[in-house]
Amino acid sequence: MKQRRIGVYICHCGGNISDYVNVQEVADAVKNDPNVAISRTHTFACSDASQQEMIDEIREQNLDGLVIASCSPKLHVFTFRGMAERADLNQYQYVHVNLREQCSWVHGNDKAGATAKGINILRAGIAKCALTKPLTAIRVDTKPRVLIIGAGVAGMRAAILLADMGLSVFMVEKEKEAGGWALHAGNMGPENQNGTDIAAGLLKRIQAHENIMLYTGAEVTGKSGSIGDFTVMARLDNNEEVSLNVGAIVVTTGFSPYEPKEGEYGWGIPGVVSLLDFRRMVEQSNGKLQHNGKPVRTVSFIYCVGSRQKKKKDCPDANTYCSRYCCSAATHTASQLGKLDPSVRQYHLFRDVRTYGALETVYEESRRDGAIFLKWEPKNPPVVEQKGGQLSVTVKDTLSGGDELEIGSDLVVLVNGMEPRENDALNDILKIPESKDGFYNEIHIKLRPVETVIDGVFIAGASQGPKTLAESVASSLAAVAKTGGLLKKGYVDLEPLVAKVNTDKCLWCDECLKACPYGAIEKINFGEKEVAFVIEAMCKGEGGCVPVCPHDAIEIEGYRDDQICAMIDASIKELETPA
Amino acid sequence: MASKVDPNITEKLRKLGAGDLNQCYHCGTCTATCPLSEDGVSFPRKVLRNLQLGLKDRLMESPEPWLCYYCGDCSEACPQNAQPGETVMAARRYLTSAYDWTGLSFKMYTSKAWEFGAILVLGLLVVLGFVFFHGPMTTELTPGGGVQLNVFAPAETIELLDWTMGGVLSIFLLSNLFRMVWKVLGEDRKKIPLKFYFTEILTLPAHFATQKRWKDCEKPGMHRKHMMLVFGYVTMFIMIFGFLKWFQTDEVHPVWHPQRLLGYLATAALLYVTVDMMISRRRKELQMHKFSHSTDWLFLILLFLTSLTGILVHFFRVGGLPMPTYIMYVIHMAILVPMLMIEVPFGKWSHLAYRPMVAYLHQVKKKANEAASSKK
Repeated sequence: MKQRRIGVYICHCGGNISDYVNVQEVADAVKNDPNVAISRTHTFACSDASQQEMIDEIREQNLDGLVIASCSPKLHVFTFRGMAERADLNQYQYVHVNLREQCSWVHGNDKAGATAKGINILRAGIAKCALTKPLTAIRVDTKPRVLIIGAGVAGMRAAILLADMGLSVFMVEKEKEAGGWALHAGNMGPENQNGTDIAAGLLKRIQAHENIMLYTGAEVTGKSGSIGDFTVMARLDNNEEVSLNVGAIVVTTGFSPYEPKEGEYGWGIPGVVSLLDFRRMVEQSNGKLQHNGKPVRTVSFIYCVGSRQKKKKDCPDANTYCSRYCCSAATHTASQLGKLDPSVRQYHLFRDVRTYGALETVYEESRRDGAIFLKWEPKNPPVVEQKGGQLSVTVKDTLSGGDELEIGSDLVVLVNGMEPRENDALNDILKIPESKDGFYNEIHIKLRPVETVIDGVFIAGASQGPKTLAESVASSLAAVAKTGGLLKKGYVDLEPLVAKVNTDKCLWCDECLKACPYGAIEKINFGEKEVAFVIEAMCKGEGGCVPVCPHDAIEIEGYRDDQICAMIDASIKELETPA
Repeated sequence: MASKVDPNITEKLRKLGAGDLNQCYHCGTCTATCPLSEDGVSFPRKVLRNLQLGLKDRLMESPEPWLCYYCGDCSEACPQNAQPGETVMAARRYLTSAYDWTGLSFKMYTSKAWEFGAILVLGLLVVLGFVFFHGPMTTELTPGGGVQLNVFAPAETIELLDWTMGGVLSIFLLSNLFRMVWKVLGEDRKKIPLKFYFTEILTLPAHFATQKRWKDCEKPGMHRKHMMLVFGYVTMFIMIFGFLKWFQTDEVHPVWHPQRLLGYLATAALLYVTVDMMISRRRKELQMHKFSHSTDWLFLILLFLTSLTGILVHFFRVGGLPMPTYIMYVIHMAILVPMLMIEVPFGKWSHLAYRPMVAYLHQVKKKANEAASSKK
């Protein structure tokens, strides 16, 4: 095999590594490797000055491989890949060795051992690097069309903005009417804008927009293809099937309101209503609030219904999360009620009032409008009973020293939270991973908040977790930015570190197909026989297919069998030939 | 037993001068600021909470409102401007009316018609009494040059009437006081050993005479003025109810005579303090003077007028002016009688009994608790 000219750089990380690992000893240990042209150390390899030095050296010494032993690849693999490209070295011929998290930080009490381990893992990295080949990104052309699933406010907002960018937008909405929950929300805090009006305004713009096609009463029935070129099947309300060819998919399927269980805080007793029901009662009453023909004088609200539940044996599906919007919605409702009829007494039984940010003013206003707050602990939840024609709510109020208080009430409002929508059929098609709460999961909550592990499929709004309408729209606009950026460019470059099938060895047994969570394997006819085929744009290089193949016919580029074997050989070299 | 939340009490309290109870969000800054609040009896937040939720029973049982002397620090510290100090003041008004089984107290606290009507009716009765039953209105002076007041209104008769009024007044006050004691002791009355009621009995007169809890309020000026007021009315009370024949004489004593000296001192104290308090309530500089219920004004005005007419009676008498003496005497009585009859059992002045009593019960409970915990 042709000898390589690999540059090896060991980073001190300003002492993070060099205080425990003798970096010079490590550099010296590999410098006689026939494939190594240079081996030296840097105080901070990631610094601009060090990078420039390395670039100069790669060029001057004509290096064709690069190994940097420093921190975790999560931190700087893209830094050094970029650096390699700037030095005209193929970025996939660079190998990152983790000398900090996997060595110096965990072996601080054994410096000699840390140094010895450092040498071994560096040798493995060099061995892998020696077998690298230049790779090029997989370039996929993108279709200038988007599918948005769910025509609530978040979806409609996204549709209008994407259409304004010149992209064609298809919207598929399960319900007969577009608008989502905003249609039923009535006046929403803090500015008292009417949800129906907001939805109607957006719908009007959508219907007038030449770039948007809205299908209501429709459902997604299938999906194929990958980022830039999906084909999505949808069944319309007239049972007709359509095929939509789009470059990206934005999922804004929203939430479901929590439905209390029979008997939960008196659910089922007449006069115990959900927050949405109560808002509608307030909205529709003219002047005086009535229930069953009787005037309502006292209303008790119970907060955190269906939120922040404790996981127990008999309740494994507990919603442990905070639903975020309910405190603000309930306190806003309190003000609506107080303004409708200030003589109605209202007691708010809360756990913690989480009217965060600017919504604090909603809480303030609710107190001015007559809301009295009582705090209960989860170990002593309020009890709702029917007592002589009235509802009785008993609660141990910590603000009154934890003594039991009884509130005679005409209505009890359960402030119910948000739950993930039951969308099993759609989930089977999209395969977006779910968080432990059951909502769609983004890649990174802070840095990649609307992207999913399925390239080209974005999530926004309450489908990814409880949100206020403002937050839903903010996340939907984030999805617009990502989608627009992807589709307006016209193409997308994907990592070439994907699975490759050796068609000589492959006998098609479908093991790889079963192992792949991304649906990236297809069966194709290859000459006389059937073999596996990898849809590169869908493959994540995850490698589940490799160990299950009974014929060693599939491997991941960048982690090929020969590379892995060479790494193992190199790292146990010391053990075989003791010095 | 769960305490019942009663929304109607908040409405009553508003009439009694409580601030907007909903302003309070229970941060507890007021209680942290209060120099008198202590473990077990913490206020004012707890008082506000009971009012907010209308927990009538808990309110009736709570000694806290009477342990507060309204220095106003809590209201100044309150981040919500909820006026905890004034709200506790309203709680005292509420309790005064709640202890009163006749219901007159609440009527007079909440209705000006009842309040002024009662004073006018009683005053008119006094005037009519004098019109029909007064003695001869002689213009002849005593050898010392004084008016013969005891011929117009003999001290023996007036003393008998005083005692009758005192008896009626005491029946109301003591029965209301008993209701308060019963409620404040609550379930503890079964637990407290009898001996502590005796060993701690001295706290009752001590607090009555000195209001010593007030010293911890760190507002020394107010405490001193209040002590002067107490000195003034206690001196007058003793002289009128105990020694009227010595106090109401026709003989003109020399200026240094104890009868005149004590009278001048007590009157000066009463006039100075009532005028000073009225000015303060108008100026509204101190927190405790920022809010004045109509009954606060009425009490001060009646006390001031009583003192003023009293001293005028004296000056007219020693000055040898028979008719002005008689007329002023009738006016004096027509103010004094309604003031005592209304303010002591039903009004603001009832705190002269409630405050020291609660301080005493508080001390008894404390001793009993100490004894109980040391046994453990």
